[in-house]
Amino acid sequence: MPRFVFVFRGDSADPVTLSPAEMAAHVRAWYTWADRLRAAGHDPNGIPLERGGRTVRGAGRLVTDGPYAEAKDLVSGNMSITAASLDEAVELAKGCPGLDLGGSVEVRHVAEHDV
Amino acid sequence: MTDPSAAIEDLFRREWASLIAMLARRFGPSHLDLAEDVVQEALERAMSAWRLGLPTHPKAWIVQTAKRCAIDRLRHLQRADRLTEAALDVALANLSPEEDASNQLAMMFSLCDEDLGGETHVTLILRFLCGFGPREIAHAFIVDTATIDRRLHRGKERLRALGTLADVSDSAVIARRLPSVLCALYLMFNEGYQGSDHEQPIHPALCRYALHLAELLLDDAAISRPEIHALAALFCLHAARLSTRLDDHGVFLRLAEQDRTRWDQQLISRGVLHLSQSAAGDQMTRWHLEAAIAAEHALAPSLAETNWSRIVALYEELRRESPSPVVEIGYAMAVAELRGVAAGRAALDQLDPSRQLARYPFFWAARAELEVRAGNPAAARELYTQARALARNSAERDAYDRQLELLGA
Repeated sequence: MPRFVFVFRGDSADPVTLSPAEMAAHVRAWYTWADRLRAAGHDPNGIPLERGGRTVRGAGRLVTDGPYAEAKDLVSGNMSITAASLDEAVELAKGCPGLDLGGSVEVRHVAEHDV
Repeated sequence: MTDPSAAIEDLFRREWASLIAMLARRFGPSHLDLAEDVVQEALERAMSAWRLGLPTHPKAWIVQTAKRCAIDRLRHLQRADRLTEAALDVALANLSPEEDASNQLAMMFSLCDEDLGGETHVTLILRFLCGFGPREIAHAFIVDTATIDRRLHRGKERLRALGTLADVSDSAVIARRLPSVLCALYLMFNEGYQGSDHEQPIHPALCRYALHLAELLLDDAAISRPEIHALAALFCLHAARLSTRLDDHGVFLRLAEQDRTRWDQQLISRGVLHLSQSAAGDQMTRWHLEAAIAAEHALAPSLAETNWSRIVALYEELRRESPSPVVEIGYAMAVAELRGVAAGRAALDQLDPSRQLARYPFFWAARAELEVRAGNPAAARELYTQARALARNSAERDAYDRQLELLGA
């Protein structure tokens, strides 16, 4: 089964401030989504990312703080899943709760070694 | 397994209350904004980081993150030094349940300042001790968010002027503020109870938190009083019936229609225990009387077997102790059960409908119900129509519609 990676961008509800109950409900929505993917056999595996970090660049191995992207462009995590096709993976990505807070999901096909 | 999402909400709310109270006590209430921002940021980070799986120690995760956020912000204000960091470390690592409770009690007594009104007290308690957002509070109390923001602003200004949190080991402070604290909890509970609406999960939460905070007061030996037990009893005995007040369609059911077998027996026992502990003093407060009335209802096997003569007697005392239109309506309905519809109508007829009462839907609904029993459907229809026009939510409106339908309107 082909594998795909969801790259999640944007993870804050800015400028709307969420209450503790709303934040908890958002986490719950992610668990429900992942449970649904698991139950349907898409084998989801997620990696959440902290906000800060460093970037190593070029032949000179230049190390800078950051990523300094806009909050909405910042990669906040990713998830690998299986799906029959890119179209199916895109349909699955539409269920991502992060979209409701203004985030985005980039859907990428994992390169296969065997042809 | 327990529902992890309910556990997260519980954890978020608990840590919200606990960390804000701790930071406000340590840095002074003039830094309440800072405390709020720090805890908000810590929870937002938790929301983001936990989306793909819970950490091993969720509570410790939030506390550590809040500490880092606090230090970042203090550095920004150039107020962070090694001493502050060490103090925060100690405060967060060793926050015992007793200290946490004491911080939250100091917050509660500070928020119920004499210069602020009862509605502001409730708003501040819901915000800082229960973790409700301004939009949620506005929704529960059917006011706009700007009103809630104004109350929060006024409250924070007042605390800033005071400079420190209330000293809850000072008996004079406790004696002075306790009545406002109890009134605020009562208001909060009442809103949860009367406003119940199946589209509004916030309402049962208001009842739960009012009881939680009342029991927090009782856990402190210096604060605990028989009258707080009476208030807690009242909360338990009413809350026991909460889930049976609405039918499957979210329509209000009258006492006679509620399924008594579904009343929460655990809460009733807890209420009865509080009620027995409330009898320790020689003071008879309105909370004692209201709890005693609630106990009669909760313990009666059926509507017919309810001890109406005792309820009427309790209402007579309550009318003297704490007169209000709401008490008068309860009294009149109890009189109707004990002495017949005519006596009940006479009691309601004595009330002046020109003032506050005119805007209270239950007044018109009570009169309508007695007209139905007296065999005057035309008068009942008219009165239910008036009640319906004043209904504050769909559960109330649908309940009156159902009565109107039964009357063939």
